[in-house]
Amino acid sequence: MPAPLLALHYYWHLPFLIVLVSLVYGATRYDQWGLILRESFRWGVRLTGFLFAVILILFLVATIT
Amino acid sequence: MSSAPTRESPSPLKREYHPLPAFLSYLVPGLGQISQGRVGKGLLFFVCVLTLFYYGMVLGKWSNVYLPDSAGENNPWKLPRLLANLYNRPQFAAQFFVGIAAWPAVIQYATYDKNSEAGPFFGDYQRVPYESRSGDKGETKISGDVTDPQKRTEFREKAKLESNKALSDWRGKTINELQQEGDKSWDLGWVFTVIAGALNIMVIYDAFAGPAFVVNPPAEQES
Repeated sequence: MPAPLLALHYYWHLPFLIVLVSLVYGATRYDQWGLILRESFRWGVRLTGFLFAVILILFLVATIT
Repeated sequence: MSSAPTRESPSPLKREYHPLPAFLSYLVPGLGQISQGRVGKGLLFFVCVLTLFYYGMVLGKWSNVYLPDSAGENNPWKLPRLLANLYNRPQFAAQFFVGIAAWPAVIQYATYDKNSEAGPFFGDYQRVPYESRSGDKGETKISGDVTDPQKRTEFREKAKLESNKALSDWRGKTINELQQEGDKSWDLGWVFTVIAGALNIMVIYDAFAGPAFVVNPPAEQES
């Protein structure tokens, strides 16, 4: 039986990664702070969704098999 | 309806390139942007990229940024030495782009002595970590409390220890020990450092050619 998803504490490093990557990516798109923050937020949401999808798939695979 | 661009109107695709700020941003993330007057953005890059890099190093117990000299052991494509070493440790190809922060690994690589336990300038910081400990599989064990680095080097030489084997009483942790004792955050650590290096390539390009989208203020757009 796999450990509950959020009990695996290495997942708790991911929000940190998402915030920093989104900010840098957003800042390479624009020079204006408003646009940088908006783009960063969009990328943060996309990255979070993608990582959650991957985690969920891996969790389901580990649970079923 | 907007009018068609005339021959005199500047092309919206025209860009200016700035190699010096790009180089500065390679050395220190964000330094190029600061030199261009985009101080806030430069500081943002500096903080984000280096935080990610060192956060990754902390997760990896400070032993995940290095370039091993392993071309002699594994070089299936008969590549030149440096390329073969990068083939064996591709993570460093990305980590290198974080700039000066990864240079100790380059210096450790250039001054590597397989019998010595530490590099001449940075000790064991960003030096190739040992994979396992001697004595694990019946190899010679060092006896007594030998702390003199020169004597330890001589002992390694005499015992003909492989470069990836630590002496039995080595004070650090080998890769095998780190992976057995820790959780997966050790592996996550090098991923963070690789992402930091890859992000800095984008930062370098931003210093070189500006942001991907240039939005002019409304007054400028009207004129």
